[in-house]
Amino acid sequence: MSGKNDARLLDATIKSSLSSMPDETAPEGFSARVMRELQPKKPSVWMRFKLWLFGPQSMTFTPIQVVPVMTCVVALIVLGIVQMKPSAMSEDTVRLSSVRFVLNDMNMNAKTVSVIGSFNSWKAERSVMYYNNDEGTWILEATLPPGDHEYMFLVDGVKLVSDPQASMSRDDGFGNKNSILFVNGGHEQIL
Amino acid sequence: MDETYEAEIIKEVLLGDPQPFEALVREYQGAIYSLMLRNVRDSSMAADLAQESFTRAYARLETFKKGKRFFPWLYSIALNVARDHMRKSGRDFHVFMDNPTDMDRPEDRKNEQEAMENHLDGNVVFEFVQTMAPKYREALILRYKHDFSMQEIANVLDISVSGAKMRISRGLEMLRDQFKEVSNVR
Repeated sequence: MSGKNDARLLDATIKSSLSSMPDETAPEGFSARVMRELQPKKPSVWMRFKLWLFGPQSMTFTPIQVVPVMTCVVALIVLGIVQMKPSAMSEDTVRLSSVRFVLNDMNMNAKTVSVIGSFNSWKAERSVMYYNNDEGTWILEATLPPGDHEYMFLVDGVKLVSDPQASMSRDDGFGNKNSILFVNGGHEQIL
Repeated sequence: MDETYEAEIIKEVLLGDPQPFEALVREYQGAIYSLMLRNVRDSSMAADLAQESFTRAYARLETFKKGKRFFPWLYSIALNVARDHMRKSGRDFHVFMDNPTDMDRPEDRKNEQEAMENHLDGNVVFEFVQTMAPKYREALILRYKHDFSMQEIANVLDISVSGAKMRISRGLEMLRDQFKEVSNVR
């Protein structure tokens, strides 16, 4: 341990001595002697340009001179924001509408009913309806984006039923008719 | 000296006014003159070589890279001036190169012996450094006196960074050995 400490002390002494090692004093008038030998440089146009380009520049101006420039800058910024707004709106904020699916079943003949459709990739587990005893109906409330949506009711997990209240339907190519819901956005819709 | 101030001086000089260059000469003349004196041990010749270093730096100022420190660049030029002088005078031109023979010069050994016998105070390191092989001595001085980074030392001595580290490590080891030897002599 003592050996290590001695070595550290020795290193510290060496480094400290090196850092405080004095410089020799240059002979009297040395800098003047150097300067006498130097001729002014004649910079090329390129060198002047390069120095100007890469060097810091200072400019002076009065506040009144700044006003037109600042006005233009502010106008450009405002213009930019205004132009950006519609695209930002269309991309970021899709308006969703509340939709209520209803299937009448006064005697509750079905045990489970789900809505399957293009909006939930035809997956029954994503849109299971609940039974309203007072109205005798199966109900599902959902929010959908604007556009056409095809759907059907899946009763007891096996039976596909078209929505009797749908105003439009489309043949699915397998002998069933998909009901069509048109969502126009902004309004709550009840089917 | 502040690097921004140095850059401003260099810009003025490049635009045709040599006078601001004197501030750089005054700032670094001691270090460059000392470097020469360590190598030629003749004050008149050291002054000539130091002057040659500054005039060569002035002549090449266009090649100085903006954003770099001026002193390492100047030091590199000064080392080349010293090398050129030694080559011309037929003396020890291997001093800055990796030649193992320069570590064991008889005249150095004699000086080291004298140093060991005569000094054992805070200045003993200084005495040892004076008698070291230049390639180790300059690496140590650049690192600990002038606070150069390893990269700067490598650039100035024209060696790799690992080479610079090796020289410093070896130089320190040599100093430690000499120190211990002196302690034993006492």
